[in-house]
Amino acid sequence: MSPNSTGNGALVPFSGDTNDSLSVYTLHHGLSRPISRVAISWSRGNSLRVSLFAEPSGSPDAGDGAKVVEVKLGGGDPEIDDADWRRIAYGSVAPFALLQSRRSSISALSKSPSSYHSDWWEHVLQYSKDITSLFTEPKLALNPIIEDPNEIVQNKEEPTCLKAAWELMEIFYVDKQSQAWQPERLVDWLADYDCLFTSTQETIHGKLVDFQNDLVNIQVIEDDPRYWEVMSSALSVGWLDIVVKMLRLHGSYKLDQLSYRELENGLVEAVAVLISKMPRLRHKSAVGNLGDCFKSKPDFIKAWEKWRSQITKLDCSPFWIQCDNKQTREGLRNLLQVLLGNTESLCTASCHWIELYVSHFLYIRPFTTGIENMYTLAQKCIQLKPPTGTHRLTGLMIGILAENTEVVLAEISREFGPWMVAHAVELLTAGSEQAEILLHDERYNLGGISMMELHRLAYAQVLSSHALTWQIAPIYLTSCMKQGMGLLENLLYRQSVQHNNLLLKNIEICRLYGLDHISSNIMKVAGVYHWKHGHKGAGVYWLQQSQDTNCLNRIAQQLFDSVGKSISDESFKQWEGVIELLGSESKPAGGLEFLHKYRDFKKSLQMVYSGKSADAARQAAGSLVLLMKNPSTPQRFWLTLLYDSLKLLNWKDSPLLSVSETHLLLNKLQELSLARQRPQFTEPSLPHQALSSIRLALATNLGRAILDE
Amino acid sequence: MAKELLSLDNGTTCSSWNYSGIRLATGSTDGSLSVFDFRDPASSSNNLRFTFKTKVHEGNIAKIVWVPPEYGDVVGCVSTDGSVSLLEEIVEDSQPLQWKIRKTFGSNESKVLDVQFGISFTRLKMVAAYSDGHVRVFELLDPLELTNWQLQAEFQNVVDSVSSFGKALCLSASISLNPQKCGSEEFSFLLSFNSDTPELNSSKVWEFDQAHRRWLPVAELALPEDKGDRVYAVAWAPNIGRLYEVIAVATQKGLAIWHLGLNPNHNGRLPVDKIALLSGHEGMVWQMEWDMSGMTLATTGDDGMVRLWQSNLNGVWHQQAAFEPTS
Repeated sequence: MSPNSTGNGALVPFSGDTNDSLSVYTLHHGLSRPISRVAISWSRGNSLRVSLFAEPSGSPDAGDGAKVVEVKLGGGDPEIDDADWRRIAYGSVAPFALLQSRRSSISALSKSPSSYHSDWWEHVLQYSKDITSLFTEPKLALNPIIEDPNEIVQNKEEPTCLKAAWELMEIFYVDKQSQAWQPERLVDWLADYDCLFTSTQETIHGKLVDFQNDLVNIQVIEDDPRYWEVMSSALSVGWLDIVVKMLRLHGSYKLDQLSYRELENGLVEAVAVLISKMPRLRHKSAVGNLGDCFKSKPDFIKAWEKWRSQITKLDCSPFWIQCDNKQTREGLRNLLQVLLGNTESLCTASCHWIELYVSHFLYIRPFTTGIENMYTLAQKCIQLKPPTGTHRLTGLMIGILAENTEVVLAEISREFGPWMVAHAVELLTAGSEQAEILLHDERYNLGGISMMELHRLAYAQVLSSHALTWQIAPIYLTSCMKQGMGLLENLLYRQSVQHNNLLLKNIEICRLYGLDHISSNIMKVAGVYHWKHGHKGAGVYWLQQSQDTNCLNRIAQQLFDSVGKSISDESFKQWEGVIELLGSESKPAGGLEFLHKYRDFKKSLQMVYSGKSADAARQAAGSLVLLMKNPSTPQRFWLTLLYDSLKLLNWKDSPLLSVSETHLLLNKLQELSLARQRPQFTEPSLPHQALSSIRLALATNLGRAILDE
Repeated sequence: MAKELLSLDNGTTCSSWNYSGIRLATGSTDGSLSVFDFRDPASSSNNLRFTFKTKVHEGNIAKIVWVPPEYGDVVGCVSTDGSVSLLEEIVEDSQPLQWKIRKTFGSNESKVLDVQFGISFTRLKMVAAYSDGHVRVFELLDPLELTNWQLQAEFQNVVDSVSSFGKALCLSASISLNPQKCGSEEFSFLLSFNSDTPELNSSKVWEFDQAHRRWLPVAELALPEDKGDRVYAVAWAPNIGRLYEVIAVATQKGLAIWHLGLNPNHNGRLPVDKIALLSGHEGMVWQMEWDMSGMTLATTGDDGMVRLWQSNLNGVWHQQAAFEPTS
């Protein structure tokens, strides 16, 4: 792990696992003066923001005084860039969710969540295949029309360690169907990923590539010792096609030489045929690969023995003496030694211990079964070929072979990051009961959660720290039984409410997972934000959505105040929209019912002033009585209302209020004069003579009403 | 290496991010507050943009604390002379959006050293620690009006409420609220001092006793022999589902991790357990912050380093990584 590695937008490979040696990373800030203070703040997920303050300086041209930097912890695989990671992150959501839903439906059926269905591994295999398909971006296959006869190694897709690691786990933990052919699967695996080991030491793949690059410069290929060396190497790891192809490049095949090198050519061809007929204990041959495949062990043993006897026979044949090309003779016989499983030849032919390991399966112990035997063999190969450097895949392989789940977890977590751990846990638990116990066991030390949950939480944290991936974090969090919801609540609470799209998305997530209290809180935050930022309508809307009566009552109070302060139509218009909005709910908050009625009253009063229609006046008088009767009408409005209605009270044509109605209003006036004695009474801002003119008008109206009745 | 978000002017002394991490408020030696925003809150890939600057105070701003977003965009600025000003971003009477001072808390006798804001029973509370060792809890009366506060309680950070220490001299204080969400219930907080009065120093967990309408110390996070230790910083971890609370306390002896039980024992105290004592900063610890899962603690201190702490799978706390600022 290199302290300065970058990639995946993360600077520090960071995991929940133990790490004995402390890694110190440098934070470049570019300030010219020394740092006097550092402030830290966690953003969402694993993103840490650091403010670095320089010592204060008196001079004006001292440069910047402070820097704010962001560090993202909890990285992934530096081999894969950010955009690719996001593609994998998004792509793995569906397989993950499908597997979780399958698990829950199976455990609902069997009523015991830990014991899986006997064919559970099939679901996991499907999941594993879906995930694998994400590792390689679909590229247009560019097959050359004319095949280059000199092309030995084909440049297929760029393999990644991530894919190699995933497939390795699939082979050992998930694919029960091909368990009997595990060694052969390992052979295929190495054929695909041998090139990855080139980064730390020499490999057969590397040798082949080098040789191919030099091929054009070589005149007589069979005279070049590297030709034979490379072939025996490729043969040792079972790349039969390549070896046969290379053998056919032998000079004796050339038409002009065939006549006088007949015997030599015969030997080359005999070896080529033997190689291409090599019996393999496997389900089916990889596409285009040579060798005879046998599914059942007895058939294979029979064929194997027959094939070996043919090799021995050829090896002892007198033709070798007659072959006068020393290079060819020795090269071919060395190939036969590889085929016969000569340990020394295999050891010389291979470069990396894994290559030697694979050659053992092919030529010495083709019947190896059982992980224990495989582990012993691996140890032996490491002894024979001590690795010159550690590779990220070898640690994982040893962990798998040693059946040590903790080591495997630690390796993949360190090398490939939280995504890998969170997803590979499914493979590990499909493989063994011991691993399942280890990963599903709830631990007090972890705060009562299982390791599986811990790793999912850690991955969700990584997702949360990026604006483009936080939306998929809930899928992983809700799969965590104990603490996922708690973290999801924290994540949602930390989302900004300023932008409507984001806000709606948050609310939708809350709705999806039944987090009503969080969504109500989010809406309250949004409501207050909009209210304070001058978007009164949006503010009221969100506060209503969150049913925050406390704030709504306060807003209603503010409306009263503003209505009470000045009764002019201008200021009323300003508030009318908000009153409309507040009143549109079935249960109007607080005393807003009053404002609603007040609006109706104002409207009819306006009509009276403009049109002088008697009907409008009668309607306005009706509204006035209703308002005065209503207990929700604040006392401090009574006088204002009556003063506004002077024209109605002094209506010329006929009294608009009945005797009882007039009495009601007079009583209210009486009540008001009593209330004046109390200290908290606030006098409405009305002209001095307002009260007396109301009294006079009411008295006049009463007299006329009595006369009328 | 690390991504640079912003450069700040000479004289900037403190900074604080809001709840969603899209706004940054900074304070300066000339007593001004500056606010910066991400251009597009949906993406943090862009840079911060300066949006407002206002003069808060004559003196140096020492600390900025954001008020919970349920009360709008509000910050409390603690100045070195010991006053706290509340500023709010608001549109008023057809004026443009601006930050306005709403309230200033100050006292002639003692200085405010630290403040924190929390919500309990849908009411905003401000906990303020003073240089004389007193704690005052204020309550906001009107959720939309930040001018209107009422003193709810005043007490000293001592377990035994009978004794009072009048002549205490505190250099710094550290308050950390129990980071529960939504404020539907009564909150509790953690308070400690760095003072010359040993009884005041140790971290105590305070809870409001509804029945007797008073604040009670329900736990003390110090071993008997460490009770007088000066405390530099405290941090209460978010709890996303543990059966205990996790609290970090930094003293001159090191960084202690405590477990705090959720259920009180027969005498009303919460059980406490010191899980780890870690060393790293070699001196003062300036600040401690838990991540949103409550699993990783970040600290800064006198050595200028940023350190990250985690517990391993066996529950053993250790330093996970450190960052060394270099130019």
